[in-house]
Amino acid sequence: MQESFAADWRAFLDGGLYRSLVDDGLLIEHEDAPLEHAALPGASAVIRPRELPLISYPYEWCFSQLREAALLTLELQRRALDAGMRLKDASAYNVQFDRGRPILIDSLSFEVADPEEPWPAYRQFCEHFLAPLALIAYRDPRLGLMLRDFIDGIPVDLAAALLPGRTRLRPGLLAHLHLHAGAQRRAQHAAPTAEHRPARRMSRLGQEALLDNLRRVVEGLRWKPHGHWVEYGITTSYTERGAASKREIVVRMLGSIEARTVWDLGANVGTYSTIAARGGRQVIAFDQDPNAVEHHWRSLDADARASVLPLVMDLANPSPGLGWALEERRSIVDRGPADVILALALVHHLAIGNNVPLDRLAAFFASLGRRAIVEFVPKEDPMGAHLLSSRRDVFPGYTLDGFRAAFGERFRIVEEAPIEDSLRTLFLLDAR
Amino acid sequence: MQLLLAYIDPGSGSLLLQAILAGLLAIPFFFRRTIGGFVSRIRGDKADSSPSRNSGAPTSPADESERSEP
Repeated sequence: MQESFAADWRAFLDGGLYRSLVDDGLLIEHEDAPLEHAALPGASAVIRPRELPLISYPYEWCFSQLREAALLTLELQRRALDAGMRLKDASAYNVQFDRGRPILIDSLSFEVADPEEPWPAYRQFCEHFLAPLALIAYRDPRLGLMLRDFIDGIPVDLAAALLPGRTRLRPGLLAHLHLHAGAQRRAQHAAPTAEHRPARRMSRLGQEALLDNLRRVVEGLRWKPHGHWVEYGITTSYTERGAASKREIVVRMLGSIEARTVWDLGANVGTYSTIAARGGRQVIAFDQDPNAVEHHWRSLDADARASVLPLVMDLANPSPGLGWALEERRSIVDRGPADVILALALVHHLAIGNNVPLDRLAAFFASLGRRAIVEFVPKEDPMGAHLLSSRRDVFPGYTLDGFRAAFGERFRIVEEAPIEDSLRTLFLLDAR
Repeated sequence: MQLLLAYIDPGSGSLLLQAILAGLLAIPFFFRRTIGGFVSRIRGDKADSSPSRNSGAPTSPADESERSEP
């Protein structure tokens, strides 16, 4: 923390805002660290915030997670106003999910404010939160992934262009996105004198009214997940005996290892994430379908959310390093490894559905977890056969022996357990 | 022209719009808050009366799943 920020920091701590936000679980707590840990010379303080098991990014969140993060951001600014301060940025990247609750992780986001100055983060709020939420609610849930390309939020003019015309009939979206886009356009054309204009003023009441309105607009955005996962959850290809056997083996394998963090790859609606979360493990449940992730998130109560975080991730195209020098947002591999990864009923999708050779798959899995519990689904399995029904079988190496050989290069095979009443096999693997 | 545009602060339009919206929204907000406060006083409600005060906390997933698409 630089000297120039010292006054704001003191006001934040001494005015009681820090304490009240931490006590209410809205801001991550920190402890003071020695000055010699400063990244730059001339620091006035160094702090060490509590560490979280995983940093997730807005393009990995489902609709409801983004919405909760948006409401947290508005609440933080409202409380800051009450304390004579303001939240100086409204970046979705400053919010994380901590034991299932959204929490601000940037302790340095608050500054002393002139009560009549507009909120400088208004535009950022619209771009980071309102635009993607509206696009998901009114167009398509997959548009949440646009945040991966637009890492400082979806520009309001782009959002306005992509939203259906009927969103102009929603006063909140009309004002904060459509008219906002128009205001930016006009300002750009009129701009050479912009620097010399007197600063805009708005009353305290106006500030509160704007925040209240944004909150109502965000709360008014609704979206219901849909899709084939509903049936998938009910009509799996297992017999009752097969499903019980698989569950029993997974529980036993998990119980036989030391694992605090579990990444459930291809978690669908989280059946095995819940099982893996027993015994205090922290589970990240990845699935590529935003509908499934949304459904999973909504199905978890507060207790379950404390140990399971569902995220959107396509394993055939996982989150890369992004931003400046590809370092601003880290790839999923850089955020690992997990103590153990679960890859249940997944390998055939990647190997046959996405043409990934088994040795490449083994290498990728080894980069994600120190251990792995992997289910091998052979071609003869109904689901394997289903994947091959619409294409030529160009996978001669996709056999149980081929799996053992490919994964044996990267992992030590600790245990191999056939699932009863099924053609599938579960492997417990230790990365080499 | 393009060169000129590259140096323009794109935030000025947002600030202007924000100031206008705040002015427009302040009036209904004021009445809602005043009336809301009045009603809750009559009811003897000890809960916080401001409409903006009750809702910062994330909504529970259960009530969301009940809602339908707009």
